[in-house]
Amino acid sequence: MVAIYIDHLYKSFTFSRGWGKHRKQTNVVAVDRISLNIPCGQAIAFIGPNGAGKSTTIKMLTGILHPTAGKAMVLGYVPWKDRQSLARRIGVVFGQRSQLWYHLPPRDTLELLARIYDLEPKVFRQRRDSLVERFGLNEFWSTPVRKLSLGQRMRAEVAASLLHEPQILFLDEPTIGLDVLAQQKLRNLICEWNQQEGTTVFLTSHDTGDIERVAQRVVVINHGQIMLDAPVSELRSRYLNEKILSVKFHTPIYEFPTLQGVRQLEVMDFGLKLEINTRLIPIEQVISQILQIGSVADVAIEDPPLDAVIAHIYNQPASEGLSL
Amino acid sequence: MKSLHKYGWIAWTSARSNMAYLGEVVARTLFLVLILYIFLQLWRVTYSETQAQQLGGFTLPQMLWYLCVTESLAISAPRIAQDVDQDVRTGALTVQLVRPISYPMYRLWSSMGERGVRFGFNFAVSAVLALFFVGTIPMSIGGCLLFLLVLPIAFILDFLVMFLIGLGAFWLEDTSGLVLIYSRLLWLLGGLMIPLELFPESWQGILHNLPFALVIYAPARLFVHPSISDTLALLMRQGVALLMLTLCVQWVYGLAIQRIHSNGG
Repeated sequence: MVAIYIDHLYKSFTFSRGWGKHRKQTNVVAVDRISLNIPCGQAIAFIGPNGAGKSTTIKMLTGILHPTAGKAMVLGYVPWKDRQSLARRIGVVFGQRSQLWYHLPPRDTLELLARIYDLEPKVFRQRRDSLVERFGLNEFWSTPVRKLSLGQRMRAEVAASLLHEPQILFLDEPTIGLDVLAQQKLRNLICEWNQQEGTTVFLTSHDTGDIERVAQRVVVINHGQIMLDAPVSELRSRYLNEKILSVKFHTPIYEFPTLQGVRQLEVMDFGLKLEINTRLIPIEQVISQILQIGSVADVAIEDPPLDAVIAHIYNQPASEGLSL
Repeated sequence: MKSLHKYGWIAWTSARSNMAYLGEVVARTLFLVLILYIFLQLWRVTYSETQAQQLGGFTLPQMLWYLCVTESLAISAPRIAQDVDQDVRTGALTVQLVRPISYPMYRLWSSMGERGVRFGFNFAVSAVLALFFVGTIPMSIGGCLLFLLVLPIAFILDFLVMFLIGLGAFWLEDTSGLVLIYSRLLWLLGGLMIPLELFPESWQGILHNLPFALVIYAPARLFVHPSISDTLALLMRQGVALLMLTLCVQWVYGLAIQRIHSNGG
């Protein structure tokens, strides 16, 4: 079953400047005829640089914005026509905006949300207890939100958005500003929820750690268009034709020959770090060259960091779609 | 019924959240005590200089009780326009729009909870002050009930105007100027410091029919001079203002919501 269906969704904004005869209108295309299908239960990372059209897309999918053209269905609803009905079936977390009452403990916000979503008292108690246990909210359950750490607050935010058992969870930069441990904890919780409860996760983030840990699929949007739609597992290995080769030697090396498709990233007395373009030169050929210049103690072949892959995709011009 | 329960709970949560601002509540109350004391002295001098038992139909104790209500009403006003303005500018509005509730209703009930707490606290303190300096005035349970009938409508009317100003953030760079103008008009023309009876007669006909009077003057006067016929007339005028302002908010909100742009994140 399809959770989110998008067909040639298009949104442009018109800005007016000046008065009378000098009034000028500028049309800015935010989302440019994107099409996408997301099956139920999938965790998707929807990423792109600032101003790429992510927020506009999310706002259309949650019913806040009307598109200029195109179609979209979220759980069978047309979001901008059935916003309130859809709101009962989706959860939304904005990393930079809180839904918790600042001066009250998380407990009180959950009590209020239970009323907003019309939960039966018994159902509410069961869900609340389950969320408190799974998200470890007990330690700060009765502490006013203003006294919580950012990590604790974000756990409470996500738990609050799951209270009404949404079928889709929209997460907008949920780990922004969190320390490494808090990030890991939150990612694990989201991942568990996706896998165990089957909740569809629609994640936007600039943090590649979120994408790798939480998402199964990544969609890159830039200039309002989808640049890439691929499984996260294949993103690095298949998209970039580059490998990072690190070598350690038993004895000092003095020179490494210049080869087409090989870039020396680091040269030390007992080591070498190379970037190899596998389209131009087979990796075996580089290794055989290395074996000739010294006695090798250790070799490691790595994919480039995901950050580099994503940066490369962001740099593509609008007209060049990418596919795997 | 479910909706009422939902919005009632929003008011309750807002009221409890505002208990946390104890420092601000105390500061406002101290300011209220100071203002009331100054007005008491001014009116004492006025009454003694004019040798009048009544001014505009108010004795000195009635005048102080009138001021207790008007000042408590004015000082208890929540920052509705500023909050709506911030919601629009920061994009926080989106948090409310992805829930199965109406944003204007959410703001209304939230402000009712906040104002209920603030007004209750302010009025309790000012009543102690009035009792200490001028004693009681003739009051009845029925009179208090009539006052409690028109008071929430006064709160709602004030909310609607402030909400409209806040929505101005969709079109204007800054709405703080409008907030300032409205609050000063409310204070000057709404009978905050002087009952409308003491304004020039030619003004009174206009002032009585402006929405400012329905928010401050009319409820305070009813508290001091309770009357069923006055209450009915007031309810009628409040009802008309409520209807017009609600239609206006509905129309402006409909236009505003179409202007939501993607404010990042």
